[in-house]
Amino acid sequence: MSSYHLNRFLFDLKMNDQTLQQALADLGGVLNHYELTPEEREALKAGDPRRLRQLGAHGMLALYIMRLNPEFRTNVYWTQK
Amino acid sequence: MPFVAAVAASHAPNILLEPGAEWDEFMVLHYRMAPQAAASKPSLEAQQKLRRDAEKAYAALRADLETARPDVLIVVANDQFVNFAFNNIPTFFVTLADEVKGQFTRHKFHYRNHKELGRTILKAGIDRGIDFSFGEYVELQHTQVVPLYFLLPEPKIPILPIYVNTWVDPIPTPRRCYQVGELIRKVADGWKERVAILATGGLSHFPGSPRIGEIDTQFDHRLLEILREGKGRSLADYSLEEICQAGDSEFLNWMVVVGAVGDAKASATFYMPDHVATGWGFVSWKIQ
Repeated sequence: MSSYHLNRFLFDLKMNDQTLQQALADLGGVLNHYELTPEEREALKAGDPRRLRQLGAHGMLALYIMRLNPEFRTNVYWTQK
Repeated sequence: MPFVAAVAASHAPNILLEPGAEWDEFMVLHYRMAPQAAASKPSLEAQQKLRRDAEKAYAALRADLETARPDVLIVVANDQFVNFAFNNIPTFFVTLADEVKGQFTRHKFHYRNHKELGRTILKAGIDRGIDFSFGEYVELQHTQVVPLYFLLPEPKIPILPIYVNTWVDPIPTPRRCYQVGELIRKVADGWKERVAILATGGLSHFPGSPRIGEIDTQFDHRLLEILREGKGRSLADYSLEEICQAGDSEFLNWMVVVGAVGDAKASATFYMPDHVATGWGFVSWKIQ
């Protein structure tokens, strides 16, 4: 199965501030806008980039799920692209 | 002699991050992908030395560029999911914008884009069987601005970003990238202004992969040796498997410049593995 929508969500999380803000407020709600498998949804909610990669996310997009992790909220990584 | 200078340089973000806290914060995300890579993390002193060594390498390249007095700098780099995503990944892309901007941490970048040269390369490609994608807007990212911070900090001349897909399978062959470089050289040789070219990226690294932290220094040294010997043409025979196995897919950006310089020998090379992700490499070719 194509992982297009999984990568699309991660790309939007990187490039679209509105998606980021919505995801921070209600991840489950914003994921409803993407055609994801139950496994993909679960992996996104778990926030583990390695699991996302195994499901077909590009490794460098998978990293962006950590943008939702409070531990990394102010990481310098997000101030560059 | 309108083709006046050629350089290639790594664009690793940690080159431009402050050694210490910024480096460590940045790398902690990569270590989530590959926890074993944290074991080889360099000390603060080692990070500072790497930064100084990279600055020296960039300074040598900048001196060569400035001596050549270019009127435009073509920048060959890969997009990393800023302008292109899985709905549309161009293999080769020429920027036809009026201006291009980008930001890296606290550093902002704003250059004029040489649309006229871009359009000429695009049309020359169509005439010779290389059909570039093109577009009128791109956002610059670290793949361009990390080297530009050191090589062209003041926007005295326009740039021309050209993109190569080095990240999303299937990627172009080294031979095809070499041919794109030959085409650019042909256009530059007939151009009314002085043209310089910069390729960015590499060398060996495995971003976003469980192999992050591995650096194939032997392969990188061999690449640089071949460039010093002026035998870059032979690299067109390399298979994608050989290049990718060594973590050198971004060397495809360099292959465009290798095609542009042809059999010229690299006049200066620098190499320093950063011990966390990337073999930093820097090359200059004196064309005149």
